[in-house]
Amino acid sequence: MSSSQIDVRNRGFIDTDNTGDTPGRRATLVLNMHRFHDVTQQVCRIAEAKRAPVAWYVAFAISLAMVSMLGFCVLYLFFTGVGVWGLNNPVMWAFDITNFVFWVGIGHAGTLISAILFLFRQKWRTGINRFAEAMTIFAVICAGLFPGIHVGRVWLVYWLFPIPNQMELWPQFRSPLLWDVFAVSTYFTVSAVFWYVGMIPDLATLRDRAKGRIQQMAYGLFSLGWRGSMRHWHRYEVAYLLLAALATPLVLSVHSVVSFDFAVSQLPGWHTTIFPPYFVAGAIFSGFAMVVTLAVPARELFGLKDLITLRHLDNMNKIILVTGCMVGYAYSMEFFIAWYSGALYEKFAFMNRAFGQYWWAYLIMVSCNVITPQLFWFKRMRTSIPIMFVLSLVVNIGMWFERYVIIVSSLANDFLPTSWGGFIPTWVDICTMTGAFGLFGVCFLLFCRYLPMVALAEIKAIMPEADPHREHPQ
Amino acid sequence: MSHAAEKTDLTPSRFVGGEILARYSRMALAVAVVALGLAVWLGWKDPAYFARQYLMNFVFVLSLALGGLLFCLIQQLTRSGWSAVVRRPAEALAANLQWIWILFLPFVGIWLWGRAHDGHGLSLASIWPWADLASMGEHDPAEAHIIAAKSGYLNDRFFFIRAAIYFIVWGSLARVFFRGSVAQDTASPEECVRITARLSRTAAAGIILFGLTTTFAAFDWIMSLSPAWFSTMFGVYFFAATCTGGYSLITLIVLKLRHLGINRAVVSEEHLQDLGKMIFAFGVVFWAYIAFSQYMLIWYGNIPEETTWFLARQVGGWGTVSIALLFGHFIIPFVFLISRWIKRWTFTLAVGCVWMLAFHWIDMYWLIMPVIPADVGSYATYNEFASAYADTASRIGNPVNFLLLLGLMGLLASSTMRRLSTKSVVCVHDPRINESLSFQNI
Repeated sequence: MSSSQIDVRNRGFIDTDNTGDTPGRRATLVLNMHRFHDVTQQVCRIAEAKRAPVAWYVAFAISLAMVSMLGFCVLYLFFTGVGVWGLNNPVMWAFDITNFVFWVGIGHAGTLISAILFLFRQKWRTGINRFAEAMTIFAVICAGLFPGIHVGRVWLVYWLFPIPNQMELWPQFRSPLLWDVFAVSTYFTVSAVFWYVGMIPDLATLRDRAKGRIQQMAYGLFSLGWRGSMRHWHRYEVAYLLLAALATPLVLSVHSVVSFDFAVSQLPGWHTTIFPPYFVAGAIFSGFAMVVTLAVPARELFGLKDLITLRHLDNMNKIILVTGCMVGYAYSMEFFIAWYSGALYEKFAFMNRAFGQYWWAYLIMVSCNVITPQLFWFKRMRTSIPIMFVLSLVVNIGMWFERYVIIVSSLANDFLPTSWGGFIPTWVDICTMTGAFGLFGVCFLLFCRYLPMVALAEIKAIMPEADPHREHPQ
Repeated sequence: MSHAAEKTDLTPSRFVGGEILARYSRMALAVAVVALGLAVWLGWKDPAYFARQYLMNFVFVLSLALGGLLFCLIQQLTRSGWSAVVRRPAEALAANLQWIWILFLPFVGIWLWGRAHDGHGLSLASIWPWADLASMGEHDPAEAHIIAAKSGYLNDRFFFIRAAIYFIVWGSLARVFFRGSVAQDTASPEECVRITARLSRTAAAGIILFGLTTTFAAFDWIMSLSPAWFSTMFGVYFFAATCTGGYSLITLIVLKLRHLGINRAVVSEEHLQDLGKMIFAFGVVFWAYIAFSQYMLIWYGNIPEETTWFLARQVGGWGTVSIALLFGHFIIPFVFLISRWIKRWTFTLAVGCVWMLAFHWIDMYWLIMPVIPADVGSYATYNEFASAYADTASRIGNPVNFLLLLGLMGLLASSTMRRLSTKSVVCVHDPRINESLSFQNI
């Protein structure tokens, strides 16, 4: 008799629905599985399969085509100059910085899930943390692209960093743009380390199971000699906790520094004190929406529905609701204080946002970020796959437009009516933005195909079988 | 279920505070009455200043009760398992919100007195200048012009209507959470599950109401003391401050109950460590994050309409208070509370709580007591302004401050302890109690 049969008989039932809420009973987070080996099988077979699902090839081809377009746009930009974008005076930042802030925001959910939810002992994070962290890293790469290609003389892009030099030329340390360089690169480094350290035991699992020589070599190299001894695990857990604690302030700091890019200025609509927490809430909001956008097809395609369950999606949708409300709070505070301040320019900036030339963008922003997420108050909406997929896309659109509204509407209509202007994107703007999604897609698809998409070792630790004190049914 | 959970006898009567808390409650009430009497006797000579001192201490005591409510809301909303054994003190602390409106009545009295005496002597405008636009227009027409534009919000009637709304919202939420939780002590297990499920749903709506009411209360009672000044972050700042005060006081109550042996059987170092983490994360670090962001953005933007608020807080004795906050509210407790053993050892944790409460009080003092000098705009440089106001005293050592603190804290403590003296101080029948009992930090 196999151990799986014993387990099934002892428990007397197999959980299939885990979205119920009975206080005092914690929901099962892994469905239809009673052995650790089942989890290993389910996750590893994706990386071990000879062929990926057809949909993977289709998505990869599309992403690759978009990356080619991105490459073309970037080269065209380098050889011609930033004039190929629709930037002008007064709108000197538009799609580029909107995309930068958008992608940095997407990159927030990963570390929140891996670090903050870890410290909050949210066990459900184990189902989604691995690919959310991967998403973070790829999103930060996409984000870093935009300021990098925006500098104009791209061959001097290393001047972003304070490198000692003969001419004693230094970046402006008082500028938040430089703080951004530090904040984003630190965030990228720490997220990547955290992601990698978490993955080492799982890479070792893949190494041990690998049949081909190349796989053995590659997984072997990156699993750094992990043997799963008690001593290894002990140190691993300490390291993981410390990394989580060190990564936690970064979740707040990165988007706070991004918000400083705007808020330290004196421009109405940019200079407002609520910006740091407001940007952080918005970033988590969009990041979780992106996790849902990716998780819904991924669990379908790779058969991970028992590991990334409806419960996980329900929880994420709740976080989307919470952060959506925080964003709505920030919008209301900005508007209220603009009126309360009695300052002419403040009042104008916000009236102009809502009713000026960019009223449509503002309308998209408010309806996508504040109004439609309210549907998530209802459990039926939170647990309906089609609805959450559409709503997560809607949130992503809304958050892109939020940055667009903040950046463009404030620049287009500032203090002097004689210097007012507007922004019309060129085809290069649009193709670069689209291309970045391709870059993200390529990275993410490769990750799904070749690396353990779900944290194997961690998810085993939250199964009832791992708890020595669990209730033994009579 | 762990062995600890199996062995623990969870009869509610085992955890009732009893006579000792009832005696403390009576003592606190006596202290409160004497202290308030002395405060009135000493402070009444300068009624406008006394009113501000009273406001400051009222907001302090209110923020503690609000912190208690916030703790209940968050724990129920997140279906927290660890906190079931320490939640009752928070509920009892929050329950004070049902009567705390009484402490606001003196402001209604001042308003009515001012109206009856046509602004001579004490009036609402002695505290909140926007309440008397006419006299403001006489000595500062520019500012009065700005304030007039927002009189749709800043006017005495709407001010008191809003206050009534805040107290109704807070009082009702506190009542629902305290009653629901206490009802579980005698309810059947099925009924307990239903109550917790209901409270969890209520908490979702409650947290939104809480966020909005505390924000606008902070605008009304604190920010509008300098009516021309504004900051979108201000509501969040006060929210963070309620975490500092509330969480520290909850922990202190838990520690005292443990000291008396009332909840010692169920509250372990693990729970203390988690309470300490809450103070560290929200009361110290989150507060510092918000305070820094607000200060840095205003300092960097350097727009006079915003900087005046901080200018008033960095001249003379106020500069010392500001620096004290930087070190006492952030740097020192950050280093202190970060260690694991500090949060697990009763004595050091208690020191941390008292320290944070003290600096939360100083924070409220720093928010409420300074007055932006009317002539701040007439100086050419900052140094001229700073030297003109170099001998401004913060007057933080004024005994009336402490008498009022003692008085209002006495009332809060008395009422909280009276509640805990007849009820179980542990939510013994919370459906998640076993999880809480067997909880261990990693």
